[in-house]
Formats: sequence, structure tokens, C-alpha cells
Amino acid sequence: MIKDITIGQYFPMGSVIHRLDPRTKLLFTIVFIVTVFLANNFISLFFCLLFSIVIIGLSKIPVKTVIKGLKPILLIIIITSILQIAYVDSGIVLVDVWKIKITSGGILTAVFMALRISLLIVMSTMLTYTTSPTSLTNGLDRMFAPLKKIGIDFHTVTMIMTIALRFIPTLIEEVDKIMSAQKSRGASFDQGNLMKRAKALIPLFIPLLFNSIRRAYELANAMTCRCYNGGVGKTTMNALKFSSRDYMSILVMAGLIGGIVVLNIFCGEYNAEFTFNLAI
Amino acid sequence: MSIIEFKNVTFRYESDDEGVVLAPAVKDFSLSIGEGEFMAILGHNGSGKSTLAKLANGLLLPESGEVIVDGMDTKNEDDDIKIKQTVGVVFQNPDNQIVATIVEEDVAFGPENLGIEPAEIRRRVDESLKLVGMYKYKNHEPHKLSGGQKQRVAIAGIIAMEPRCIILDEPTAMLDPEGRRDVMNAIKRLNRELGITVVFITHYMEEACEADRIVVMDDSRLLLDGTPKEVFADTEKIRSIGLDVPQTCVLAKMLKNDGINLKNDLLSIDELVENIDDLLKGQ
Repeated sequence: MIKDITIGQYFPMGSVIHRLDPRTKLLFTIVFIVTVFLANNFISLFFCLLFSIVIIGLSKIPVKTVIKGLKPILLIIIITSILQIAYVDSGIVLVDVWKIKITSGGILTAVFMALRISLLIVMSTMLTYTTSPTSLTNGLDRMFAPLKKIGIDFHTVTMIMTIALRFIPTLIEEVDKIMSAQKSRGASFDQGNLMKRAKALIPLFIPLLFNSIRRAYELANAMTCRCYNGGVGKTTMNALKFSSRDYMSILVMAGLIGGIVVLNIFCGEYNAEFTFNLAI
Repeated sequence: MSIIEFKNVTFRYESDDEGVVLAPAVKDFSLSIGEGEFMAILGHNGSGKSTLAKLANGLLLPESGEVIVDGMDTKNEDDDIKIKQTVGVVFQNPDNQIVATIVEEDVAFGPENLGIEPAEIRRRVDESLKLVGMYKYKNHEPHKLSGGQKQRVAIAGIIAMEPRCIILDEPTAMLDPEGRRDVMNAIKRLNRELGITVVFITHYMEEACEADRIVVMDDSRLLLDGTPKEVFADTEKIRSIGLDVPQTCVLAKMLKNDGINLKNDLLSIDELVENIDDLLKGQ
């Protein structure tokens, strides 16, 4: 169960997308998110979808894996859809029983929102699928380095991120170990009501927390022994460099956002009735 | 010339409870470690041997007395980075020493902090990984390696800073026999091939025997100091402080007590066999 966590999961496929500078990919993700929010009609959104399909194809990541990344937010998508169906009242009335009234506008809005959320999540997970955690933090480090001039030391943040990523598998292993140890002494983690289960987690988290503090102390010692002094005068072995590929991607990004803005102007704002008529 | 010198060092940890003064972890300790030496420090739990490792590169500062690293006093903050570069420390748990999520990036961590040129870091990282036999794992994730492999990565991370002395604080305590042997071989290579001073803290007698000099700690003080043969000749003293003696020594002692005329300084199995063989031929 714990092993399903996919935070920062990385699939080294060596594709064009993988070889892009992490800064380009970070920027790309941000631009895509903005674009998806800008897209206010089905045609624009459809282009965003097409675009993400091309990216997924180029990255060589199996479609199945990408779809699996949607699993954790499935509940959110479903709840949002139900709310949209329940509250939006426009277009043709499809069902009208007792207090439940479903309209075509409601369904279309629900589909629109679901697609929008899915696109956001898929492209954000694509970032971590195609970028190793170290190169991602390296990218963030470099991208936000200028902030130091105004007194924000982003290096500390990226160092914390690196260490967090480094220790996730170690801590998961430890949770497994503690769970087995507690189970062997008769503890049960999956029986009883919610209150009971929550209480059963206390003997799991206290040793975990205690051990983490001890680990942190030892890690700090080890880092001090390796001359870590908060990143002052630090160099990087694998220095990041923009290639022609990255400049091309930036052009594509500009094209995407420009194209969507133009499409928005041509198709007008999303309107359930209008789209429904169009569909018929 | 000595690379690390402890001069009448006393150190005590601070207690968590206010007003309680703990007994010193190291008491009036003096020791001189020569450049290029391969030294083992033996002692049971709580004898103060791990504290020595932290005192030797300025992680801890002595309460009284002084620790001199290559002419620099560890109390002098200006020399702090230089001291840590000269004396590298490897700790017991490899999991808690690895910082990065990729092996080669972790090895690069030390040199990066020192502000070394990227090309030179690359050279050092590759060389250090080859030296500990982990080069082919350079793109692996540390958590997928075995304990022994992780510990060798941690050692490579220290070597990449090109220290003149490495202190290893029970680096094999959490490893299986195979991992222990690999780590031991890597450590021996550091000393014999690169001439790095190695101080090896352990409670495994067999590992301590590999060193040229053994220092035995007991109750925060230095108890014995000499070659493995000299130290283990004193079987009773070693046992009286709760340490084991290599089994060959025990067997030799028992045979001698039964009136068999064996030599005094037998350590390895081969030596013992040879000596018994000689005696049998002589009869």
C-alpha cells in the first residue's frame, strides 16, 4: 500500500523530452497550466489535449502509466463533476425527477472541468516522470538563484527538497519495518473503526518521528564533515546548459499560448448552450 | 610527522537535564597519529571511541587540552573547512550520510561544497568510485544498493575531497559479512595505494588485526597502544575490559598453558599452523 506513492517518480526513457533542460520543462509546465486556465471553450481545450498527447508520445512514457497518475485525484474529479451537474442549470433539461434536475449544460460543464483538471495533473506528473529529482532541484536552484539579491536564499529550499526526496524511500522502508515489528507483537492496523485505526498508528509514528530526528542529526554531522556551509561558493559537477532544443521548445510554448488566445477570441467564451447546439 | 595530535584532551557531553554534569566521554587523552599510518581503535560501547572521531575534525571541541590537525588547532574557526578537508569522517549508518538521490551526485557533494571546477569534480568522482569498486553503479539510486555498497559510496564521497586522513567510525557495524569484506578491502586500498592515513574504529577483533597499530580505549582513557601482536599478547587485560580476543590467540594461550612451547605473538591462523607444524617436525 505504501509503495504506491508516486511523488517524484521518474522514468528514465532518454527521450527528447527527458534531455530538455529542467528549467525549460519547469517553464513549460507553468506555461501549460496558464494556457489550460486561459482556454475557455471546448475547441481551445481540445487543442491543449492534442498538445499534451503529442508531448506524451514524444516522451515515450507508456500511456497506461500516465493515466495511472490520475488515480489519486479521481475522487476530486468525480466530486467536481457531480457538483457541476447538480448546480449548472442551462441548456436542454434531460432528467427532472423530484429534486434532481440534470441539464445538458451541467453535463458539458462537468466534462469541461474534468478534462481541465485531468490535463493539469497529467502535465504536472509528466514533469516529474521525465525529469530526475536531482535535475529538477538543480533547475529550481538555478532558476531562483537571482532571488538571493533580494535576500531570499532559495538554495536552502532546494537542499531541503533534495534531502526530502532522498529520504522518502528510506522512511517508507522504515515504516514497513516498524509495522512488521508492531504486528509481530500483536498490533493491528486494519481492523476496528476509524478511531481505533487512528490510535493504532500512534505506535507507528512515534518511533518514526524519533528515528527521523536522530537521522537528521547524523546527516547534519555527515554534511558538516563534507564541508557543507549553506551553499556559499558551491560549484556544480553537471552544470546546466541551454541547447538549441530548449530554445525551440520556448518557441513552441509561445506558439501554444498565442494560439489558444487567438482561438479564444474566435470561438468566444465557453457557453454550454452554444457548444451543445454546435455538437448537434 | 603526526597528522592528528590529541594533547591531554578531555570532553564531556552536555546533559539534557539542567544542572546534571555527565562524566567525561574522553578523559585526559593523548595520542599522536602519524602520516600514512593504518590504525585501529578498539573499545566496547561507551568507551569514548566515537567521540574521538568527532573530536579529530572539529565536529566536537575539547573541554580542555587541544586537538592539532596538521598544525591547525580545531578550536580555530578560520581553519574549520581546511581541517574538515584534511580529516574526513565516515560514520556507522550509510543511510544517514548520503545526501543526493544519484550515486555520482552524492560523491560530488563534498568537492562541490569546496568550490572545485566542474571538470576536476568529474575526474575526482570517477576516480573515487573506481577506487571503492562502485564505478558501474554511478547512475544508481542509493536506496537500491546494499548496505556495503552504500557504505562504499559514503567512503568515495569522503575520498573525493582528497583528505590526507580518513577516520571510519564503525563503518562495518551494520553490514553483512560480504559487505564488511568489501568495505575492508576498499579501506586497505586507501592506505596502501594512496598513502592516506586511516583510523579505523571498530569492535571486531579480526578487522583490528589488519591494522599496523591498535589503540585500546577503556572507560574514556587510553588503555593499550601497540602493534596487533603486542596488544593481543595481553589476553587477560583485553578480556578484563569486556573485549574478545582473536580465537587464534585464545587457542595459542590454552596450548601454552598446557605446556606446549608456542611463540608469544601468534595472530593469524597461518602463523599458528606453521608454528605447530614446526614443533611437530622438531619432535
